[in-house]
Amino acid sequence: MRRILAQSRKELTQIVRDWRTLALALALPIVMLLLMSAALSLTVYDLPIIVQDFDGSSASNHFIDVFRASITFHVIAWPVDKPAEAALASNAARAVLIIPPHFGRDQARGVNSPVQLIVDASDANTAKLVSGDVLQIANAYNQQIAAPAPVQAAFRLWFNPGLSSKKFYGPGVFVLALSMFPPLLAGLAMARESEQKTILQVYVSSISAHEFLLGKIFAFMVVALGEAVVMSAFLFTYFGLSFAGDPTPVIIATILYTFCVASFGTMIGVKIPNQTAAMQAVALGGFLLVFLLSGLMFPVQNIPIGLRWISSFVWGRYFIEIVRDALLQGGGWPAVWYKVIFIGIIGSIFYLLAWNGMRKMQVKA
Amino acid sequence: MTLTGLFRHLFSYRMRALVKKEFNQIRRDRRLQISLVLPPILQLTLFGFALSSNVSDLRLAVVDDNRTPESRELISTLTESKSFRLAGYYASVDQLGDAVSRGDADAGLVVPYDYARDLARQRPTTVQFLLNATNANTATISRAYAQGVLQSYNVNLRQNGMHLQIQPTVAPNLARRGQIQLQPAFLFNPGLVDSWFIVTGVLGLLLILNSTLVASASMVREREAGTIEQLLMSPASTTEIIVAKIAPLFFLLSLMMFAAIAVLRLAFSVPFRGSLLLLICAGCLCILSGISIGTVIATFSRSAQQAQLTSFFLNPPLASLSGALNPIEAMPKWLQPLTVLNPVHHFAAIVRGTMLKGGGFADVWPNFLGLFLFTLVLVSLSVRRFRKQLS
Repeated sequence: MRRILAQSRKELTQIVRDWRTLALALALPIVMLLLMSAALSLTVYDLPIIVQDFDGSSASNHFIDVFRASITFHVIAWPVDKPAEAALASNAARAVLIIPPHFGRDQARGVNSPVQLIVDASDANTAKLVSGDVLQIANAYNQQIAAPAPVQAAFRLWFNPGLSSKKFYGPGVFVLALSMFPPLLAGLAMARESEQKTILQVYVSSISAHEFLLGKIFAFMVVALGEAVVMSAFLFTYFGLSFAGDPTPVIIATILYTFCVASFGTMIGVKIPNQTAAMQAVALGGFLLVFLLSGLMFPVQNIPIGLRWISSFVWGRYFIEIVRDALLQGGGWPAVWYKVIFIGIIGSIFYLLAWNGMRKMQVKA
Repeated sequence: MTLTGLFRHLFSYRMRALVKKEFNQIRRDRRLQISLVLPPILQLTLFGFALSSNVSDLRLAVVDDNRTPESRELISTLTESKSFRLAGYYASVDQLGDAVSRGDADAGLVVPYDYARDLARQRPTTVQFLLNATNANTATISRAYAQGVLQSYNVNLRQNGMHLQIQPTVAPNLARRGQIQLQPAFLFNPGLVDSWFIVTGVLGLLLILNSTLVASASMVREREAGTIEQLLMSPASTTEIIVAKIAPLFFLLSLMMFAAIAVLRLAFSVPFRGSLLLLICAGCLCILSGISIGTVIATFSRSAQQAQLTSFFLNPPLASLSGALNPIEAMPKWLQPLTVLNPVHHFAAIVRGTMLKGGGFADVWPNFLGLFLFTLVLVSLSVRRFRKQLS
């Protein structure tokens, strides 16, 4: 135990000495949390929309006013004689609404009048949002002027009633940062030992492979837990999140997860005794896997089946689900117990792989 | 210097020797070669296939308090659509809520006990939809889907409704006003393929980030090995050294760009509606800015490892403030102006403008100008830093 702690102290001292590493450990996770959560959001506001009114009646003006009042759109001016597609091609607007002549007359006669909506679908997701919003506005307008539809739906949005995407991406980026920076530091530290040959000193000392690895991993668990605490301070204030249910699963999972990522980094460092290459490997595993295959941005179910099986092995996926459950859904242990166990298993596998590489405590022949 | 003079200078024997040396160095560096070939294929396909915002097959849990043919018809109309599939019937709203919390269902539908009676009496009736809104985007889209399904259900009801038995005998209600029938059309991407947006954005990220990586690695190596003094002692001028360093990288990265464009075309069938030349010009500008960023990073670092660490500070803002993966309108208002300073943003706008929308130079010139200015500033900055380092 004493040797483990001594090893950890040495690691932590080395981190504090290099300003680049220290900044990497403390400042970057927060920068990433703030930037990425904003940059991943897909909820659009204030989109420019063009209304081409070929009618010019009071009815059509009334209809356009509904759009002027919405927060999703702002109506921009566009001459009626200019083709609307040009506005979409030059990014001046995201959608065009075309009100036909006779719109007001049709309405007064009780005839349904078609209104065309042309959406720039080069961004398919935004196109869906735009057409959905316009549909909603048109529905509300119809209800106002005509008899209500026979079946109406009352929507209740659970867990995130304000539809704030910050609350969804904040926990995700929290996990992404934890999956990236602690293993990066751990991998660099381990590869540095081999690169600078200080590993030989370890080999000739009386420390065992388990003690050496645990000491290293413990140091980076401390770093990761520190990052987790600092980042959760932001989650609870700037992101406006709070525990939705039992906080014990997420607390235990966080400790297990820091072990998992620290072991991952150490394992990479053991297997790849070159700092630059180790960094690339961690970036690939920590960033790319967790960013793409963990349901951070889009649901895992959307990944094609040929790739989806990989995500069952991605440690970040389980932790993201646990953190989101704790901060938004509040399902507690019944919803997440097996995910906590998976994180523990994956972490142990990383540890055993690292130990397997270190076991002999000898220079590789 | 006259133009012919410049050309003679560029193709001088000394120049050729320097360029050849760079090519040889790249040829011997296995990792550099890998990072020229692997990322375009791996990253593009992974991002394109794995990131999909598609909303379909949401698991719908149902509480049917009515249990009549009418309520069952509503439920089957919803679950027959591509957006929802039935996850199961629940006895009470509480049980349904538990199912949604546990993650067994994504949405819930509650049909009230007087649903069929209200329909028969031609009174408007309300069904309740519970949506797991954890993911705001999915929730918004699925709400729109549910509304769309309900709307067509309503139209059906009105036309040949289930209340046929009480067909009104009076003439159509004169007080009824005509309704709006929205007819949406999706321009440029009628099938709403969402990988097109992602891969065109990733193309820009790839060009900039990979050029940065390759350039900084190759620049810093000379410094690490200490061979930069030897270069200085050679009769080559600093301009020659710089051009000879950049030209081979530029050439190889351009090949990477063509490979990436081929992946876009073959693996994702992204349409090529506009001018390919414009796209390639913009891509070259992107590569140049990437090389310049890499050079600047290299001049600030003593080792390859430091250079790579520095790029960790630079890449996240570059990637996340670009609008490559999400629309810029979704960012907070105070962050939106910062995207003007991002070459990836301009490139993504040009790629989408030309490839997807079929626009020409007239449509994308502001972005082209932005990218050009950015490249100009970066190239001159990097040449300056490099010269300073050499002298």
